[in-house]
Amino acid sequence: MTLEVDPTAIRHDYVARVSRRYGVIAAVFGLLCLSFLLDITTGPGGYSLSTVSEVLFDPMSHGARLKVIVWDYRLPVAVTAVLVGALLAVAGAQMQTILNNPLAEPFTLGVSAAASFGASLAIVLGFSVIPAVGPLLVTVNAFVFALCTCGFILLATRLKGVGSETMILFGIAIFFTFSALLALMQYMASEDQIARIVFWMMGSLSRASWEKIGLGTILLCFAIPFSLYRTWPMTALRMGEATAQSMGVDVGRLRVEMLICISLLAATAVSFVGTVGFVGLVGPHIARMLVGEDQRYFVPLSALVGALVLSLTSLISKTITPGIIYPIGIITSLIGVPIFISIILSSRRERLQ
Amino acid sequence: MTLTIANLSAGYGRTTVLHDVTVTDIPSGAFVGLIGPNAAGKSTLFKTIAGLITPNKGTLTIEGEDVTHLGRKDRAKRVAYMPQAYGCNALLSVFESVLLALKQTTGWRVNDDNLDRVSDTLHALGLSHLANRGVADLSGGQAQMVAVAQTIVRAPDVILLDEPTSALDLHHQLSILTSIRNEMDRKKPVVMAALHDLNLAAKFCDRLVLLRDGAILADGKPEHILALPQIEETYRVLTDLERTQRNVLYVDARLA
Repeated sequence: MTLEVDPTAIRHDYVARVSRRYGVIAAVFGLLCLSFLLDITTGPGGYSLSTVSEVLFDPMSHGARLKVIVWDYRLPVAVTAVLVGALLAVAGAQMQTILNNPLAEPFTLGVSAAASFGASLAIVLGFSVIPAVGPLLVTVNAFVFALCTCGFILLATRLKGVGSETMILFGIAIFFTFSALLALMQYMASEDQIARIVFWMMGSLSRASWEKIGLGTILLCFAIPFSLYRTWPMTALRMGEATAQSMGVDVGRLRVEMLICISLLAATAVSFVGTVGFVGLVGPHIARMLVGEDQRYFVPLSALVGALVLSLTSLISKTITPGIIYPIGIITSLIGVPIFISIILSSRRERLQ
Repeated sequence: MTLTIANLSAGYGRTTVLHDVTVTDIPSGAFVGLIGPNAAGKSTLFKTIAGLITPNKGTLTIEGEDVTHLGRKDRAKRVAYMPQAYGCNALLSVFESVLLALKQTTGWRVNDDNLDRVSDTLHALGLSHLANRGVADLSGGQAQMVAVAQTIVRAPDVILLDEPTSALDLHHQLSILTSIRNEMDRKKPVVMAALHDLNLAAKFCDRLVLLRDGAILADGKPEHILALPQIEETYRVLTDLERTQRNVLYVDARLA
């Protein structure tokens, strides 16, 4: 019955599989670089790649006008797309693992609904949760509300025991609560304010700034090493909660740690660009199909795929109608979802790579 | 490597499940069968030894060292617990799933020794041909064999198996228990297994512990334990204990 296989052969297979994964990660990184370059060369100005890259290395080489276009407008947008895509995808990947649910992403726990409500509070009432933030009012409100939501979930699950069902149920409750509160704010708002709320919720990269990019990068530089540090317990969690526990993993504590990490990532991403659904879902999904669920490869690749998806979205949002930049939230859904469905249908049974 | 359980009481919240459980001096290389009806406290006892439940009272000693309050990770290095089997849908290969069990207690980086241990364990259990298969694609029996591999690869002092043969066909029942016996001959851990099949218990175990309502009714050699009137009482059956032609104990049970 037992087919004997040489033990060194299975070792060799594993090592080969690992190097294939590094290959996949490198390939996606290459695509991301390409998409990023295209993103900064595309725009109403119609400058060539060589011109733009000269401006990148020497800002004043083609005059002050081009410096402003590349450095103050296109580059922050392109970098924000990459950064936010990575933040959302890492948050989605971790959330799917700790909740054992492939449909989980930052929005499942009501984080974006809370952020939208925070933003609307700033837009309609001019109310700021942190005084004297000036023009950052909307962003700060969105961030604080998103973070408080995660804090609340954390607290609630801590009190009731950290089961994955409990967390999802809390998320749904929070989602509906904030949706209702948001509707209330819209009811009270003027036409102009409603337009601003709706535009905020559609998601836009034009709110990019170097300060936000700096903050986001710092967070990502903290989150990815932390995730890698927790990679073995997180991979064990994929074998099921009982199995992970029997291997010595403190599942409750791991969930809380990861939830704190996810909260910061999701709150930052949402407050920067508004509601961008789907990236947190599709990034991890594609990464999983490419490298499986060993978190050492899964988390970094999720970040790269998420970044690639949002970078491509940014590119597409500029090229559909020249001169018009569509909100990215709309693009991710309209173009991304059919692609996503075709991916699912083309490989109905997820195979191990 | 001896395991001693002394006056252990444990439970969930306010409910006490185990009452003063004492099993002394289980020697290294001994295969102890934990028998008893459903809800006797077998899983609770395993979880308490594995450190997933903190006992209200009593002590656990491994090789004279008190491990009652040893932390989870240090405990996992010495005690490996295989819970009752559940399916999983992870996109991981069998090789990876065994590797991850080993990596919980052995540093972050995967080194050559880790890879050797995983391939040796798979080889020893006759699972080499499944190494590249996805864990989600395994049959029930294969999944249970992989769970055993995940337990054994850690080379612990104490191995706790919660119903390792449930849902397995005859071939796999024998194959799992034989693999475990072979492993015991090599590394001499203490093995405790909760078993429902008294004949399997009689065939493979050196010692049987009969648990009922969270208390120990009897503890001793299989031929003594299975002949006790408490067996009939506990399982609410009538039994005859026989020896087969190959000198294996056989429990013939019928409803009372």
